[in-house]
Amino acid sequence: MSAVLPRHRVNVLTGIKSARLVEDAAECANYIQKAKRPLLVIGPLLLQSQADGKLLLEYALDLAKAGGIPICATAQTRGKMVELGVQPDCVYDAVEIVNALKDPDWKGVRKEGNHDLVMFFGIRSDLGSQGLSTLKHFAPHLKTMTLCKHYFPHASYSLTNFKKDAKWQEFLESLIAELQKGG
Amino acid sequence: MAVAETKKLSKKLEELSKLIRAEIPWEPVGPTPMPDIPDIRSWDMRLLKTYQPFYAPFCDLCCLCTYGKCDLTAGKRGACGIDIATQQARVVLLACLMGCSAHAAHGAHILEHLIEKHGRDKKIDLGESITIEAPHIRTVLGLKPETLGDLQIALEYVFKEVGHLLDSCHTGQEGSALDYESKALHAGMLDHVGMEAGDIAQIVGFNYPTSVADTPLVDMGWGAIDKSKPTILVSGHNPATSTEVIDYLREHSLEDQVEIAGVCCTALETTRYSDRAKIVGPLSRQLFFLRAGIADVIMTDEQCIRTDTPQEASKVGAAVVACLDKAMYGLEDATDMEADEIVRRMVGNGEHFAILDSAKAAEVAVKVAMEIAPKRRKEWLAEEEAIELAKKCNDCAMCEQVCPNLCSIGAGITQLAKGEFEPLRVLFNECIGCGKCEEECPRHVPIFRLMQVAAGNETWKARAGRGPIMDTEIRTVGAPITLGTIPGVIAIVGCSNFPDVDDVADMVEEFAKRKYIVVLSGCSAMVAGMKKDADGKTVYEKYPPDFEGGGVVNVGSCVANSHITGAAIKIANIFAALPLRGNYEVMADYVLNRVGAVGVAWGAYSQKAASIATGCNRLGIPVVLGPHSAKYRRLYLSRKEEDDWQVMDARKKELVETGEPSPEHLAYVCETKEKAMPMIAKLCIRKNDTPQGRAIKLNHYISLYKKYMGGGLPEDLHLFVRRDADIPLVYKKEVRAHLQEIGWQPREPVGLPTYIGTYPSKVSIDAVIH
Amino acid sequence: MEGEFHVDIGPQYEGEVIRKENLFMEFGGPKAAHKFELATVKNADEIENEKVEIIGPDIGDLQPYDPEKGGGSYPIAVLVDVAGGELDKDAEAIIERRLHMFTNMIEGWYHMNQRQDVWMRISKECYDKGFTSLRELGEIYILLYTSEMPIIESIQVTIITDPEKVKELLPHALEVYNARDERARTLNDEDVDTFYGCVLCQSFAPTHISIITPNRIANCGAINWFDGRAAAKIDPEGPIFAISKGDVIDAVKGEYSGANAIEAEKSLGNYDRVYLYSAFEHPHTSCGCFEAIVYYIPEVDAFGVVHREYKGETVVGETFSHMAGETSGGKQIEGRLGTGLEQLRSPKFIQADGGLARIVWLPKELKERFKDVLEAKGLYDKVATEEDAKNVDELLEFLEKCGHPWLQGEVELPA
Repeated sequence: MSAVLPRHRVNVLTGIKSARLVEDAAECANYIQKAKRPLLVIGPLLLQSQADGKLLLEYALDLAKAGGIPICATAQTRGKMVELGVQPDCVYDAVEIVNALKDPDWKGVRKEGNHDLVMFFGIRSDLGSQGLSTLKHFAPHLKTMTLCKHYFPHASYSLTNFKKDAKWQEFLESLIAELQKGG
Repeated sequence: MAVAETKKLSKKLEELSKLIRAEIPWEPVGPTPMPDIPDIRSWDMRLLKTYQPFYAPFCDLCCLCTYGKCDLTAGKRGACGIDIATQQARVVLLACLMGCSAHAAHGAHILEHLIEKHGRDKKIDLGESITIEAPHIRTVLGLKPETLGDLQIALEYVFKEVGHLLDSCHTGQEGSALDYESKALHAGMLDHVGMEAGDIAQIVGFNYPTSVADTPLVDMGWGAIDKSKPTILVSGHNPATSTEVIDYLREHSLEDQVEIAGVCCTALETTRYSDRAKIVGPLSRQLFFLRAGIADVIMTDEQCIRTDTPQEASKVGAAVVACLDKAMYGLEDATDMEADEIVRRMVGNGEHFAILDSAKAAEVAVKVAMEIAPKRRKEWLAEEEAIELAKKCNDCAMCEQVCPNLCSIGAGITQLAKGEFEPLRVLFNECIGCGKCEEECPRHVPIFRLMQVAAGNETWKARAGRGPIMDTEIRTVGAPITLGTIPGVIAIVGCSNFPDVDDVADMVEEFAKRKYIVVLSGCSAMVAGMKKDADGKTVYEKYPPDFEGGGVVNVGSCVANSHITGAAIKIANIFAALPLRGNYEVMADYVLNRVGAVGVAWGAYSQKAASIATGCNRLGIPVVLGPHSAKYRRLYLSRKEEDDWQVMDARKKELVETGEPSPEHLAYVCETKEKAMPMIAKLCIRKNDTPQGRAIKLNHYISLYKKYMGGGLPEDLHLFVRRDADIPLVYKKEVRAHLQEIGWQPREPVGLPTYIGTYPSKVSIDAVIH
Repeated sequence: MEGEFHVDIGPQYEGEVIRKENLFMEFGGPKAAHKFELATVKNADEIENEKVEIIGPDIGDLQPYDPEKGGGSYPIAVLVDVAGGELDKDAEAIIERRLHMFTNMIEGWYHMNQRQDVWMRISKECYDKGFTSLRELGEIYILLYTSEMPIIESIQVTIITDPEKVKELLPHALEVYNARDERARTLNDEDVDTFYGCVLCQSFAPTHISIITPNRIANCGAINWFDGRAAAKIDPEGPIFAISKGDVIDAVKGEYSGANAIEAEKSLGNYDRVYLYSAFEHPHTSCGCFEAIVYYIPEVDAFGVVHREYKGETVVGETFSHMAGETSGGKQIEGRLGTGLEQLRSPKFIQADGGLARIVWLPKELKERFKDVLEAKGLYDKVATEEDAKNVDELLEFLEKCGHPWLQGEVELPA
């Protein structure tokens, strides 16, 4: 249980179970590497650039590559992904992927079995928070993690509320580096 | 025992038959006239089997009774035994009941008002092109309403059912989420009955346009208001208020001297009564307009109104008259006071009052407006002043934390301080008008006033609401829909909690251009007209107002939504000649399986929107919702290939495994318009599509997919191609190659698909063919 | 197909109109002296498959339209040559008509009329996107023809803009058009063994099947016998299919054993007999798409016709809408016959009941539209419109005054 408030007040927790705060990139990488069938779910906020002109989506793709993680491209993210040379494993939308994930018998995006760690990255925070709530309540068979720059109480693991984007990018870069090491 | 029971049943049926005048044989009475909670339950359960409830709990707790708060996280039960899914379903039912009551009570109030004016026996006549005046009342009740008095029968039935449904929300009632959903679907169905009764009453009683497509184009936007004149703002939904004001102005030859403008649905009602009234804008512009201080007098009635309207009015020196008992704000009830006494106190002391007599309220409002207007300054903030005020902001981003639409307000304000107006304009498009940012700001930056420089003085055009779709229009679109020149009917409706206000106009344009029939209502009907193209035209000026391919129709306010769902019923009744009297299940089955219509409530926020959408769902119409609607807690989603897409072929009387998810979902949330548009096209597909009809629908699905999803072909395309003839012409080669690669096999289309026969129902399969 | 052409293609562009402000260049149309489009079925060895040939200047070689000086209009001939085992001369008209739809489907192109009146426009945006050659037009035609019609086994497109060449080839095209019209005019039920059935509307009217013959167009007006034939060849398992005519049971009423058999099979057992040319006893069923209703007026023992666009009351008091309810739904209703409008020109139009000579009331719009056939039978002045008679009494008066042949007993029903 954490006393961290989510960045956007509309997502404030009314309940007793909230996400474990993850502030260390190595710890974060560890959770990912321990997972048997991780999944990365990306959303349209990743189509926005950062100050240095690098798309957030590129971080996501680097991360997926480093960790060997399949990708579900929600909303219209598929277009840019394919342009950057990567085919998504699944193009379910946010509510559709959550709907599938909560079924323990679902075979997962690669038909190898349902996923045990699902990372969410780039979905608008209120929609993301609701999706995480569904999984918190109805999917005890998996854990969730968020990689956005805010804290999400409904996730199993969540990053802190980064005050500066630069710090967040640093975290992501460290995380990718850790995953590349461990691979 | 058995004899006594039969007697009891007969008494109820006897009463019912009297109420609906069963002896008049305009159609035989079907199996479920005036259904109670359990009567259409088996249909609900069949729907919910394919379109399973998906819960996204908004709160982990239940706080309803004194045994709580109960934490229901991950399977824990509350003190009463309820689990999180059932609790969410209960809240959904409560929302639907609030929505249903809002419309029904609005209708009842209007009806009372109009019966006072015209008498119970005032005949219902919707013009020469509308014979089926009340598809919902006819279908659900089995009654053909002929007078205003008959509409009361419909509302009394709705209220009775609402009472029973609300009962089931008490602690220790329903224990099954599915059954709460069935009750919510029941409430949704009732909502459309209540809305229909209300809007028919309004059309008949206030002489709104009907049986005409070419209604006037009315002015929209704060810039349309002549600030030099006294201005009355009507805010809310109930035109009993605004029509009285307009009558008063007409009687006293003051129409040229006093501006009357509306915000939210009452704007759409008012412009159906007078094409000189102005539409300020949707709900999301309410607070902005209040704080701009342009309105001298604000008349509130009910629903979606700022609950701090009197306080906000006082801040800008405006006066408030609360006209309905639903919202009296703790004000003194001046209903029996002398009008001039009220005027004196309002003008002299800045007092606000509740006046529940609409004629008196109108007189007071006009008099007060004319007196105080000359004393009030109504100036739009100048750009230089704005820049100065913006410099107070130090980008602490507290505003961003409280913004429900997650906007980066601080960034916009700091840019404004540097003389950059564009970021603020983007912000204004995203603003849903709640005011939390200004409340939170530690530097007291007047954010809403600053928005004025972004808002500009733009004016737009909207078409006045035209009421029901004409029977003649329904008849005419039958052939093009069959022959595949009209790909579907898309209804873009509902509130203004949008991720971006331009999304609606963009979607209308995209689909009207592609020859879909586009129907609008409520706040969405307003914002559809709030974007101009390179030639300065809004969609209302570009596309014809007819219910035909490429037409853009505004049915009116939110109660007019019943005409959109009513049109679906009329298609079944007029075009397929199926009887509708007391025959809800057959109608819903027909619409679900054979009418390619989709609702889009992109900015739904209210309980009314929840009940309207749920009512659409029971009738078999899927609804696409914007991202905020994830907070409604419940969707109806299928699992595509994993689910059972078996239907009965009513022709061959055989069960058929179609494997075709059409429509794929009944209530679906989507994050962006880019994703929504191909999805909307896909949701228009129905199993009975002719090859031409299927080809045109797939053409747009593929074309929209290529446009917004980055090229290639939709991953699930193969599920919707039954035979080679279904493949749209321009994509034939590409799709054939793809299908061959994945080993696709053709299958036979089902001519008369129905759910009847796939679940236990009172309805026989022959009823589906008549 | 993605990225293959400079512009997008699809039915969503069919309504696009190109006005002078957007006009880049125009082919055919009123300002061009000679223009035509012609589809010809040839032998396979006469065609170089998928070849596109441009004879004369291309778009890039010609002066575009200038808003001040005008110009920009040029002659054109579009020749589509096809070969295939299932193709015969009758298919040429169907193939040629596709040029209209295909051209309009191209973003930035606009096509109007047909045959020797053809008129095409290309917009500035289209040219700016890189559509600078008629070759691309030819390639798009080939793609769409081969996509839609597998019965086209080889195809060649020639686009001629050389004014002399167009002028030279025009007379031959005109001959071909005349021959086609002659054939359509003179082809009767007696000349064929195959009719066509259409069940497109069965999800709205489960018991309705449309029988389409050389003398009977579908009620929706959209499908004639030649269309039916082409559709059945392209998609033999589709909703439009061939029916064997069978034996002639009654030539006047239009009863054929083949049609009866298909009725029995497809009407869910409701009907097993149909008269193609009568509004009595076993009239043809309708779904909801009919263009007009032939309705019986008992007081004069004759018929009126009313079409969908006519909004007012007919001479019997009911509007089209009211009568439509009785006429639709796949039922055989005596005295309420749904029909396509062009059927009024068929020599067998309700011939068992007296044909055009038994029509006593028409909306003015229809009377003008069918003036030619009415005058040919000397009936034009004898038929009342809404201006002559608003009710049955006024109708009787009018018909007596003008001496309508049916009321005079002068019309002989065929034996």
